[in-house]
Amino acid sequence: MVTTAGVVLAGGRSRRMGSPKADLEWHGSTLLARTVGVLVRGADGPVVVVCSPGQELPPLPAGTEVVADPQEGRGPLQGLAVGLAAAGADAAFVCSTDLPFLHPDFVRRVLAALAGDVEVVLPHAHGFRQPLAAAYATSLAPIAAALVAEGLAAPKPLLDRSRTLVLDDAALLEDARLRAADPDLRSVHNLNDPAAYDRARAEPAPEVVVQRFGVLASGGRSATVTVRAATVGRAAQEVGLVLDRHVLAAVNGDATSRDPHAPLVAGDVVAFLSADAGG
Amino acid sequence: MGEPVPGGCFGRALVVDVTDGSSRVLDVPATVLRRHLGGVGLGTWLLTELGPPGVHPLAPGAPLCFVFSPLVGTPLTTSAKFAVVAKSPLTGLLTDALASSHFAIAGKLTGHDAIVLVGRAAQPSVLLVQDDVVRLQPAGDLWGRSAAQAEAALRDREGHRWQVAAIGTAGERGVAYATISHDGRHAGRGGLGAVLGSKGLKALAVRGSHKTAPADVDGVLAAAKDLRARSLGRATERYRELGTMGNVLAFNALSTLPTRNFAAASFDGAERLGAEELAQARGVTRSSCASCSIGCEHLYKGSGGKAVRMEHQSVSALGPLCGVSDPDAVLAASARCDELGVDTISAGGTIAWAMETAERGLLDAPWLRFGDGAALLRALDELGTGDGIGPLLSLGSRAAANVVGHGSLAWAAQVKGLELPGYEPRTMQAMALGMAVNARGADHNRSGAFDADLSGDLDRLRGGDAHVRGAVEAEDRAAVMDSMILCSFLRKVFDDPWVEWAQLLSLVTGWDLDADELRATAQRIVLAKRAYNLREGWVPEDDWLPERFLATSLVVGSGRSATLTPQTLRAMVSGYYAARGLDASGRP
Repeated sequence: MVTTAGVVLAGGRSRRMGSPKADLEWHGSTLLARTVGVLVRGADGPVVVVCSPGQELPPLPAGTEVVADPQEGRGPLQGLAVGLAAAGADAAFVCSTDLPFLHPDFVRRVLAALAGDVEVVLPHAHGFRQPLAAAYATSLAPIAAALVAEGLAAPKPLLDRSRTLVLDDAALLEDARLRAADPDLRSVHNLNDPAAYDRARAEPAPEVVVQRFGVLASGGRSATVTVRAATVGRAAQEVGLVLDRHVLAAVNGDATSRDPHAPLVAGDVVAFLSADAGG
Repeated sequence: MGEPVPGGCFGRALVVDVTDGSSRVLDVPATVLRRHLGGVGLGTWLLTELGPPGVHPLAPGAPLCFVFSPLVGTPLTTSAKFAVVAKSPLTGLLTDALASSHFAIAGKLTGHDAIVLVGRAAQPSVLLVQDDVVRLQPAGDLWGRSAAQAEAALRDREGHRWQVAAIGTAGERGVAYATISHDGRHAGRGGLGAVLGSKGLKALAVRGSHKTAPADVDGVLAAAKDLRARSLGRATERYRELGTMGNVLAFNALSTLPTRNFAAASFDGAERLGAEELAQARGVTRSSCASCSIGCEHLYKGSGGKAVRMEHQSVSALGPLCGVSDPDAVLAASARCDELGVDTISAGGTIAWAMETAERGLLDAPWLRFGDGAALLRALDELGTGDGIGPLLSLGSRAAANVVGHGSLAWAAQVKGLELPGYEPRTMQAMALGMAVNARGADHNRSGAFDADLSGDLDRLRGGDAHVRGAVEAEDRAAVMDSMILCSFLRKVFDDPWVEWAQLLSLVTGWDLDADELRATAQRIVLAKRAYNLREGWVPEDDWLPERFLATSLVVGSGRSATLTPQTLRAMVSGYYAARGLDASGRP
């Protein structure tokens, strides 16, 4: 069984954006925290954030590992090398920080294709190769580091030297869950400039289903409502709940959490339940 | 009636040989009480001291211990509970179960910290203990009646100041998971009813006039007032408003609701069985134990209009685990279990095993199919009458699988012979460990590790070191709550439980307890149970889960796989042994 992790490259200079993308707000979260949270949901293991030396990062989910590029300004290949080396798994989904529509099912779909002797799974979505929304075997870390040492900055030379499986739109959408969750492959939609960021911010938060159980539902009845919320905390707020010691959330029946910043994506089902179970 | 004895304990246990009705007082030294508290802790000590090594659980020499506690009789909410401790006919190891209400208060008023029964009556009998006076009475007229009927008849005959713990027909017939019940509440797990029945006793009745007094009366009154106020807060709201049945729909959403003998962890028919739906459709009556301000009990109307006390565990085992979504069938099955006097968890677990075994063509019962409420009720009827597959079901799933063979042990969902409660171990991996290593077997009361799984602090689908810590802590907390005794439903009202529990015990007993000593006491009680089991034949393979949970995965709603590999479980068991100071094979 291939163990998987996530790597977010947060150390770019964000020249066209004019300010660090990692810090940009999107529906109550930052782009970086949201991306990390989505990778937590899509991968099995840890999520590593690779930043520039001395870079200040916004608050991140508990358990996020942070490593720094040895040198500033050496491009994404250096971050890839550092992140893969730190990932602590067989494979990692590596992405940039500016993907507000990244979906956990996209991450899972790409990671799941890393089988046999394949070393890189490279989405080719909307007519573009997506090396910063791709899966890499972590065994490529030394090769990437060697390429960096040769002065290379972009991922392409690494892809050229690796056994790479390219997945086009059709191949990606063969996965039924991804087809249902992200049929337009908006997962790879990145934000390069203020105009793109403004358009992304203008979009409504994802539509999610909220379930309340037991005493958390009014009148003692279970209640299911649809709200727009990009985080668990916002979803709780929409139905008048606070994530305190007596209330837990579980997204799509997965692990329970009290993290109000945990990201939500369209179609999620958020269950709020009493933390005082037992009996 | 003399002056109250200060300090919450009498320092004596009454040992009755029911062969001839003789009795003796066993002095229980103060050091023993302080080191074992009461309840399951003291019961474990008594069982170890008084039980002959290797004794058959249903032999006359096997002790059956009814144990009270330092807190019972105080105004502290939920303290009216007693423990029953014996060697289990279901597991061959220690079992301890709690039940509630006036029997606990009356039993302690006899002036003893415990009443221990040994021997075997020559004819069906009841035992009456009033202070130091012991009477053995023939009870042929009560034999064959339900526990509730026997309890009522005995109180009508002897007077309503008597409090009675009795068995149903299952206990008389030696069903390996028969219960002892009082006022409709059961000391449920491990077959304690069969042990009482093996002694020729239909019931134990108690009354008395000996009181204890708290060491600090004013302090206890103030603490009781404070605890009562806290018991009405949010930490117990779910129990008050919906009872334990409030778990059903939430657990279903989390893929932790065992379904069709653990083949799945969510159930299409759960909505019909949830507290929310039942309360609307059936009406609900609330009730509570003596000295309890929570009032978790919820009674629903069955199809005949009779009120049936329902718990999450009963619904889980008799509903989803058997694939049955018809609320009438589940309510009727629960009522039938109460009437027979059997543990609903083991009954449902054994029938679910039998359903799968029959569907695989390995059990000649073609009528027994998942989802068939009528088949569930027929199986319980046969368990009650001893007809058809009843004798096989009466053994529990492990022993029944050993009779049937053909690899059917692989889908017998039990640990040490005790059927799993309504928690799916693959999606609650701290609980998986707790159920694997606990002395009583697969259990949710002595190992409330579900608290760790639902804490939001760890990934419940990926067992690891945090799960070990959670399981150890939950087991330690249960050891103290079940020994001092307070209801586990109070556990979340304490902000700093070890400190607060030490204070409560100190106020009652006068001991200068602190949190560190209490933690050491908890660990001592846990290890004492393990030591008893070791003496009685425990082997390392007993601390393990059935193959079903380790060979097949589940998928939760997110699409993520819930897999519990043997390697993961082994690592957690090893971590548990290390945390408990045991060697690599689980021995002290």
